Amino acid sequence: MDRSVLKFEDVWKIYGMGEIEVPALKGVSVQINQGDFIAIIGASGSGKSTMMNLIGCLDTPSKGSVYLKSKNISKLGESDLAAFRGKTIGFIFQQYNLIPSMTALENVLLPMEFLEYNSEESLSRANQLLRTVGLADKINNRPGQLSGGQQQRVAIARSLACDPEIILADEPTGSLDSVTGKEVLQILIKLWKEQGKTLIIVTHDINIAKNAETIIELKDGQITSISKLRGKSK
Amino acid sequence: MKPGKCFKHAFAMVLHSKLRSWLTIIGIVIGVAAVVAIVSIGEGMQRSLNERLGGLGADIITISPGFSKGSNMVALRGGVHMHGTEGGSGPQATENEAVLTRSDVQVLRGIPDILQIDPNIRGNVEVSYLGKTGTVSITGVDQRVWPRITTSKVKEGRTLDPTDQNVIVIGGRLASSYFGQPIGINKIITIEGSAYRVVGILEDQSNQIYIPIMMAYQILEGKKTDQYDSISVKIREDRLDETIAEIESRLMTSRHLTEKNKDFSVTSSKQLQQTMSETLNSMSAFLIAIAAVSLIVGAVGIANTMFTSVLEKTKQIGIMKAIGARNRDIMLIFLTNSALIGLVGGVLGVIAGIMLSSAMPALMGSLPLGRGGTAISMSSVIMALSVSITVGIAAGLIPAYQASRLKPVDALRYE
Ligand SMILES: Nc1ncnc2c1ncn2[C@@H]1O[C@H](COP(=O)(O)OP(=O)(O)OP(=O)(O)O)[C@@H](O)[C@H]1O
Ligand SMILES: [Mg+2]
Repeated sequence: MDRSVLKFEDVWKIYGMGEIEVPALKGVSVQINQGDFIAIIGASGSGKSTMMNLIGCLDTPSKGSVYLKSKNISKLGESDLAAFRGKTIGFIFQQYNLIPSMTALENVLLPMEFLEYNSEESLSRANQLLRTVGLADKINNRPGQLSGGQQQRVAIARSLACDPEIILADEPTGSLDSVTGKEVLQILIKLWKEQGKTLIIVTHDINIAKNAETIIELKDGQITSISKLRGKSK
Repeated sequence: MKPGKCFKHAFAMVLHSKLRSWLTIIGIVIGVAAVVAIVSIGEGMQRSLNERLGGLGADIITISPGFSKGSNMVALRGGVHMHGTEGGSGPQATENEAVLTRSDVQVLRGIPDILQIDPNIRGNVEVSYLGKTGTVSITGVDQRVWPRITTSKVKEGRTLDPTDQNVIVIGGRLASSYFGQPIGINKIITIEGSAYRVVGILEDQSNQIYIPIMMAYQILEGKKTDQYDSISVKIREDRLDETIAEIESRLMTSRHLTEKNKDFSVTSSKQLQQTMSETLNSMSAFLIAIAAVSLIVGAVGIANTMFTSVLEKTKQIGIMKAIGARNRDIMLIFLTNSALIGLVGGVLGVIAGIMLSSAMPALMGSLPLGRGGTAISMSSVIMALSVSITVGIAAGLIPAYQASRLKPVDALRYE
């Protein structure tokens, strides 16, 4: 049985900066299965975000193939890729990346609007998600009226809006203090455990990475180690 | 994304950058207002031209000495008669050289398509009423024919009749306000020292006095009996062009003239109306072209705003793409945004244009055609609105395309 949701086959990503070519990923091959909890760690500039963008179909590889749910993302057209991305992946960014002019509720509704979900169902789902992350009383606040931790929780609610199989979090606690960071991490771990999502976290904080099942370490665009901390123990 | 949601987001975007949106909208408002005002003023002038000249029908022809159409235009307006000539020769010279006489009237009588002939003389006279004095224009008419030829309608009293002697019919403005107080029917006014009784007041807004031609010869100095300043004829309506040609050729023969030294002109109100409306049309076309330029400037303003907005929202576009927005969703949101700016600008521009054009008659009341008011047609409003929406969309096309083509990674990195 193939439980693979994500597969990198000799993936290269080379950024062209004028004359100079900067290879950010150099032949990365890895397989991530459904329900995995992966932490990607590495020093600054090691290629973590680059790998993240490829996993999230925000970018395409220069060489090699990325398979998401056994679809080669390089072969998908723009419109299909966008819809596929919206359905399959929930993004959580270090800078929260909420739309500043929209309320918490509107931010959570947005992905469902792009995928043309039924309006009423979307509304009740968005409300319920905000309740899950503990923001039932803040649904009409704009990002500017929320603390960093609260904004990140809105972002988590938004990432879950279309019930994606994979949650991708790039430094989700990077802008938060350690207590708030821990709270946010707990929410993510709870989602992984209770809803069986595949959780992929990028971090340079080893203490956060230690919560994961598997730690992938990147160095200079190459995987230097894949360490299994614990088996599937749910 | 469904169109309804797109519209919602575009609308929110307009609201969220209020100041910038309004400044952009003003650019469109000015352009649209200018176009609407010019079109409606033009249509109003056209209408009033048709009312004034169209009433004359196609069956009146005026023959006048000299070869200038200008003199007749002024005369038809019901204003002061000018001895129009071609540039160079003075009025005196023309009058000495070319006059219309009884023999010309005889020639005209020989043309079967001419039904009525009214020879006129004109001049300016001193008129006084209740101690006030002024100079107005007087026209001597054949009172047996004039009532059937004139286009002026009698508002009060009666028109001239064949037995009249010392009576006059006066224009509406002369009666109502020229002397500070109204002149009523049967009042006596003094013209060059002699008393005349007012028997009729016309509907038109002129200062004209109409008097039996025999009396006019007595009043006006230097006019010889059987010489005329112009001859108006009524013809069979369906034979306008043929009759004009016939008159011209017969008069040229009788006056021993050729095309080269022709010393009279034949004009019809219909021709005049055509010439004037052509002039009017080309004038308003010119003005509309100028107004269109300001509309283009407004469009450039929209494009500019949209480019700024795309730049400012680059990060948001990246976020939207990360959460499932397709290129065409982004494109549609930005296009709707610029179309909305165009639409709002169009609506406000139409309102401003209507206000502007309805204020116009007051501003140009002294111009005869300005008094006709303005005409705002539904079609021009719809035109203005669809043009402004189109302008908005066209101006937003490139920025929206640019926004939609942003790569999600690049857009997300943008700060
Ligand atoms: N758009 C780009 N153009 C050129 N070079 C790039 C681009 N994006 C990343 N790079 C380069 O690729 C390498 C990997 O970058 P990446 O952002 O993946 O690192 P990272 O591991 O996420 O670092 P950090 O922990 O600081 O976020 C770096 O050397 C970076 O300079
Ligand atoms: Mg990074």
